[in-house]
Amino acid sequence: MKKTGIIIINILIMVAILTFVSVYTVFNDRFTRQRQIEHFENTTVTMERVTENYLEGEQRICDVWAHYINSREMTMEEASAFIRISHVLPNASAHLIYLDSKKGISTRSHLGTDDDYEISYEKIDFLSDTSWISDIGESINISRAYTNPMNGEQSLAFCNKIELYDPDGGAAKDAVLLRVLPISELEQKWIFPQEEFENAELTLIDADGDYIIKSKTFKNSNFYEFYKSYNASDPELVDGLRAEITTGTGSVSVLNSKGEKMLLAYTPVSETAGWILLSLIPESDLRINTENWLLIGVISAGLLVLFLMDLLFIQSFNKKLRVAAKAADAANRAKTDFLSTMSHDIRTPMNAIIGLTAIAQKNLDDTEATGENLRKIGLAGNHLLTLINDILDISKVESGKLTLSPVTFSVVEMVENLVNLSQPIVKEKNIDFNFRVNHMEKEYLYADQLRLNQIYINILSNAVKYTEPGGKVSVDMREEESPVSGCVRMIYTVSDTGIGMSPEFMKRLYQPFSRQTDSRVNSIQGTGLGLAITKQMVDLMGGEIDCRSEQGKGTTFTVVLDIPVSDRQIADMHLAPVDVLVVDDDEVLLQTTADTLKTLGAEAECAKSGAEAIEKIRKRRREGRDYGLVLLDWKMPDMNGIETIRRIRNDIDGDIPILIMSAYDRSEIEDEAKKAGANGFVSKPLFRSTLYEKINQLLGKEVTPVEPEDDYSDLKGVHVLVAEDNDINWEIIQATLDMFGITADRAENGRVCVDIIKNAEEGRYTLIFMDVQMPEMNGLDATRTIRKLENPWAAEIPIIAMTADAFSENVTECLNAGMDGHIAKPVDVKLVIKEIRKIKERKDKK
Amino acid sequence: MKRIYSVILTAFMIFGLAACGSGNQQKNEEGFVPKLDKSTACKISIVGTYSNFEALEAEFDRFNEYYPNVEMSYTKIDEYNSAIETVLNGNDAPNIFFSFSWMIGNPAYDGVFDHMENLSDESLGLNLDCIRPGLISRDEKGRMLMVPVFSTSYGMLINNDLFAQEELKVPTNLQELYDVCASFKEKGYESPMMGYSKDSSGCLMNTVAYPVFAGTLQEHPEMVALANGCDPAAGEYMRTSLETLTQLIDKGCINLEKCAEISDNYTEVILRFYEGDVPMMICTGDTVSGTKKRESQSEAFTAHPFTYTFAPLPTTDKGGYFLDSPSVQFSVNSSCDNLDMTNEFMRFLISKTELNEMASIKRLITPTNDLSFDKVYAPVADTAPELIISPAELGIEDTLAVQIRLASFKVGTGEMTIDEAVAAYGSLE
Repeated sequence: MKKTGIIIINILIMVAILTFVSVYTVFNDRFTRQRQIEHFENTTVTMERVTENYLEGEQRICDVWAHYINSREMTMEEASAFIRISHVLPNASAHLIYLDSKKGISTRSHLGTDDDYEISYEKIDFLSDTSWISDIGESINISRAYTNPMNGEQSLAFCNKIELYDPDGGAAKDAVLLRVLPISELEQKWIFPQEEFENAELTLIDADGDYIIKSKTFKNSNFYEFYKSYNASDPELVDGLRAEITTGTGSVSVLNSKGEKMLLAYTPVSETAGWILLSLIPESDLRINTENWLLIGVISAGLLVLFLMDLLFIQSFNKKLRVAAKAADAANRAKTDFLSTMSHDIRTPMNAIIGLTAIAQKNLDDTEATGENLRKIGLAGNHLLTLINDILDISKVESGKLTLSPVTFSVVEMVENLVNLSQPIVKEKNIDFNFRVNHMEKEYLYADQLRLNQIYINILSNAVKYTEPGGKVSVDMREEESPVSGCVRMIYTVSDTGIGMSPEFMKRLYQPFSRQTDSRVNSIQGTGLGLAITKQMVDLMGGEIDCRSEQGKGTTFTVVLDIPVSDRQIADMHLAPVDVLVVDDDEVLLQTTADTLKTLGAEAECAKSGAEAIEKIRKRRREGRDYGLVLLDWKMPDMNGIETIRRIRNDIDGDIPILIMSAYDRSEIEDEAKKAGANGFVSKPLFRSTLYEKINQLLGKEVTPVEPEDDYSDLKGVHVLVAEDNDINWEIIQATLDMFGITADRAENGRVCVDIIKNAEEGRYTLIFMDVQMPEMNGLDATRTIRKLENPWAAEIPIIAMTADAFSENVTECLNAGMDGHIAKPVDVKLVIKEIRKIKERKDKK
Repeated sequence: MKRIYSVILTAFMIFGLAACGSGNQQKNEEGFVPKLDKSTACKISIVGTYSNFEALEAEFDRFNEYYPNVEMSYTKIDEYNSAIETVLNGNDAPNIFFSFSWMIGNPAYDGVFDHMENLSDESLGLNLDCIRPGLISRDEKGRMLMVPVFSTSYGMLINNDLFAQEELKVPTNLQELYDVCASFKEKGYESPMMGYSKDSSGCLMNTVAYPVFAGTLQEHPEMVALANGCDPAAGEYMRTSLETLTQLIDKGCINLEKCAEISDNYTEVILRFYEGDVPMMICTGDTVSGTKKRESQSEAFTAHPFTYTFAPLPTTDKGGYFLDSPSVQFSVNSSCDNLDMTNEFMRFLISKTELNEMASIKRLITPTNDLSFDKVYAPVADTAPELIISPAELGIEDTLAVQIRLASFKVGTGEMTIDEAVAAYGSLE
């Protein structure tokens, strides 16, 4: 839906809500107001009853007096005397008036006199016609409000017709008895009872609308005149109001003299001649829900804020969606590009494998050509494997499932592995390769070795890969104090003199599927995923990776990681006093090696070349202070290590112990070095423990020639059990092991494996290679079952996982199940042999 | 753009509201300034003869703007003239009460005068300068015991639209009056001038004769004392006024038979005038006070409204006398409760603004020196100064007024001849 549509719908919803709230408020207000009005009317009716009761009570007194006077045939004086006796109210009085003369006497004297009781009603109109006075006891006969001639007070009179007799015994004369009460006294008693109507007023009018009791808001002397003055002067409207309020109970809205709206409730006062009780209250007092408008205001403001927030959110959301869509498009494009590249990259080695296999099959008789084809098939296969591993890794990275599985590992072994892995290409491209370690105090660390290896290998292999033949690759690894407690800071720097990278490519260096567009690069096999994976892993480990590169000059990668130190460390290493001459053209290596030797307790001198070394050895010989050991680099300019050994052996000393150092594959120089007279071989980089071990080995024992590395005689007689459901895989592993003189039995699945071990005689198998995914019982369950066997030998037999589940969490899973190691498929034979030797050595030590 | 309009409108609204507020404040500052605590709560009652006194009740509301807690009431007293003294001595003694010029010199009201506060006391701060001096009366001690809140006069209501319709000019002297009456007669108006004639109280005869008699006495001020003293010698000075009356009747200006149809001297006079066929209705200012409210009560006037004014009767060659008399006066009960607030109310009321406002509502002649503010009474303001008579200044007392009223009524109705009436001066009852 378009943005405008959403806005219109939002506005319509807001309007609908506000309309509903407004209508509801108005109706609720009206309803509440109606209830208030009804309550006010009911209160007015209650007041009418109170008033009526009061008037009836007063009238009854008058009735009793009248009845008594009539029954006793009293004269005016007698009646007056009787009433004076009966009268108890201090402010009330009674008037006895002859109807013919409208004159008579009052029970109280005229104000200011003691003996003037005479009174005249001649000019007071309400006695000119007495037809409104009913017979005694029939109804309330009450006068209009008038001025009491005796005291000037506004008063009301309850009336009864009576008969009075002349003192001379004449005939009875018609008279009126008036029980006169001051209005002020009534007003004091006449208060509206409800607290919520504190501003309400009560007024009593007679049938003509003249006020009997008048509250302050009512003006004029007549209610209808008041209405005419401030509301409607139209006689019809006035007559309408008169008709309305004289016929029942109800209420009507009127204006007061200030133009304010008032509610007028009315109810007739029963038992009186058309009297009406009026209650008046400001309408504003009945509007108790006016704060609802505040509610509407708050809701309006709230809706508006919500609307604006929605709008902003939608805009922001749309913006993010656009960005995400762009990113997704870009990612899709990159993936498409990648797939295209992958398709090419996978097809290329596959093409090589298939093509070369076909060629080999046709030339089976030509052993040399077949061997070459198989070597190339192997290379293509390895590349394909790397490609698949990288794809799997990046998919894990992208799905966020990449987790770390820390284990204790040896830095030395890790570095050895790094050097070994890089050797083939280094050798092939004749690269000047240096690997230096500095201040490596802690040799055992606790981290995800697999991932750490991957980081280091990726960077190093890139350096080697992108360095042209004859170039130089230097690796510096040093240990620093880490700000993180329990960790050391490992700084791994790889510099090359390779092709370098363009600034544009540097910006997307760590993006997946990105490879530099370069004719030289295109000729180099790669997935474009290595650095992306490396960056993700460094981030995952909380480290930093930095890259500085100049096109055509080379690249330097630096990885800084804070890695926890393992509890396991090599015990204190100290050599017997010995003078060591370190010979290398690399000054940094000279210095670090000399420092390391000093920490081991040896005296170290340095020589930067073979010639300088010979000179120093000669000099020492002359002084009678021969060096106890010579550490000699193999690859040096002018005179290499082999030549230097020859000269030392021939010209100076045939016995001086010499260890040859090299960062290259020892197998290449081993024979030559041995022939030249080297006593041992030590691989660079030179770790403290490596030096300690090699020097001790050389000086503590008889000098032994270097053993060739491809001597597998120690493996003869090793018998292993292989749990593998796949026939081909079984065939491969069996053949591979057989090449090294290792025999193997097969278990087709985990359950068979468990049964074989359970029934095997003790010591029959050196170890078990266990596939993980197998029918009936998988490798993990089989391992757990074996570990629970009663036979201690069976329960403790070494089990090495041999599986295509190659991720670190798979490794962890295997170790947690009770396995002792993990080899990923496709199987690296060297790793298999290494694992077997490790276990065999452990077993031999026992 | 809408935003700019909204801001401008809001600014105008705020400015408007501020202006309203400041205007109100300005009014307060320029007008009455309260001297007492504004939160004072008390009751003030006023008693009088009027059944309705909306004009005063409107003043209550205005006074309550300053003193909201002062509860004010007006009450009509039955038989006011005889009851007022008792009322003043009673439990419900009022703070302010009506007083009349005719009470002056009447011993029956000595008790009433005893209650009156001296309103000319400067400490009260009443603005007496706003009242026409001719309306103010003082006693022998120079005290001002009553202050006029309305004035009245004698004259006629003129149907201006009818004059215009008949293309006649409103008369300004006696001859023009005769002529215009003749013209109306010719046009079929049976009684160009009408008025109440059934009783001497408020009758048209007195309304015609009294100003002329007062004018004669003004020319002979030495006779005022005799006239007040009901000396028969003063009777001769009534002759001119009585002759003017009879001439108006004899010339057919006033048809007494038609006038007799008017049953009272107030409402019926007004309603008859509203019938629209009476060019001139003889009446007093007190009658005019009832016109505004009765406009709506007259079906004829509602159906065919017309403009009308009140003017002195042009009974001389120079014009008509404007007998400038107080109608209702207020006196303060010096022994009342809340005397301070009562005087504060009087200080509020006795101002040109409030008295004019009250006169406007009551439609009586204002006692202030600004006669022109009410268009109905505008012709009165045009009266030549020599024709303005102040009964108070002239010294006319009620006894004199009673004699001319009775004499004019009797002569007008034919009960007496002019000579008999002149001779009977002082003994007419």
